[in-house]
Amino acid sequence: MFKKFSGEDVSAQNQVKASVQRKIRQSIAEEYPGLEPVLDDILPKKSPLIVAKCQNHLNLVLVNNVPLFFSVRDGPYMPTLRLLHQYPNIMKKLQVDRGAIRFVLAGANIMCPGLTSPGGFLDEDVGAEYPVAIMAEGKQHALAIGFTKMSAKDIKAINKGIGVDNLHYLNDGLWKMERLD
Amino acid sequence: MAEKPQPVRVLYCGVCSLPPEYCEFGSDFEKCKPWLIQNAPDLYPNLLKEANDKGADNVADKLQSTGISSGAGDGAASSAPKQEEVKRLPGGKIKKKDKQEVVIEKVVRNKRKCITTVKGLELFGVKLSDASKKLGKKFATGASVVKGPTEKEQIDVQGDIAYDIVEFITDTWPDVSETAIFFIEDGRKVPAA
Repeated sequence: MFKKFSGEDVSAQNQVKASVQRKIRQSIAEEYPGLEPVLDDILPKKSPLIVAKCQNHLNLVLVNNVPLFFSVRDGPYMPTLRLLHQYPNIMKKLQVDRGAIRFVLAGANIMCPGLTSPGGFLDEDVGAEYPVAIMAEGKQHALAIGFTKMSAKDIKAINKGIGVDNLHYLNDGLWKMERLD
Repeated sequence: MAEKPQPVRVLYCGVCSLPPEYCEFGSDFEKCKPWLIQNAPDLYPNLLKEANDKGADNVADKLQSTGISSGAGDGAASSAPKQEEVKRLPGGKIKKKDKQEVVIEKVVRNKRKCITTVKGLELFGVKLSDASKKLGKKFATGASVVKGPTEKEQIDVQGDIAYDIVEFITDTWPDVSETAIFFIEDGRKVPAA
């Protein structure tokens, strides 16, 4: 989704009103309970929260010009990889085997066999349509953020086709955009 | 909930900005190597061995304490101009960079008024918004950045400044040589120099 993404794709950014801010904080806290104790550090109440609207119904949540979360249409807020690297345990993790890394880093969606092979790992509780962190065999950090197309059980059972939509991966446009001015 | 989980500080490669462990999948692993050797030697043990082997071959390099970095620096400097020609598209495909040239065209409107359009300044690393401001100031006319055909940005300057602009461009941006500036006259490209 962020394969070609740059500051130009941001059509408008505004500081959102307090009620919207509260809603965003609440939905993030709900989605990522592990983030709750540090939520005040990530989204300080004092500094203004800015929402940048981009093409394709994409919203970015910025604090101090740093993109922290993104969401598509009215979907869940998902952390950017830089934020996820700082707090790695806030998302459910799926792991792909080594052979898949190359393709994932080129923006490919995650196919089921890459998750079910010996190098992969599946968290059984992951349902369908759920934001997940994509880890890689033998690597410490997440390499992508995805949105599951089917539940973990289905991925195992069907073992064919796209398991997880790749939304945000290392070195894509959003990754390269460390700051948005 | 008593204690806060501390944010993990992640080291990112200074060359390709990825976490070092993913450098090998990045677009320019070769370029990252010197950085990796200095900053994250434990991640790629083979790399260090390789570098040491190279160092052993080259006694002169070994004598210098900063042999690895200086050697790599030289290599990068010599290959840099070549590397700049190819711009990597996302997905690892290589795109040839456009030829660096500035094209100036005079468009007549209302029979006696014209607009001078300047294309291609961005290829020289000139910021178009700055450039248009400078042009407007110099010629005391309106100058703006507009989206030209095929999504490329160009500068429109009001008035006929086609001949004065060459000197101005070469003076303000020394990177732009006079030979790289072209006029369009009757649909043909004519070099300014």
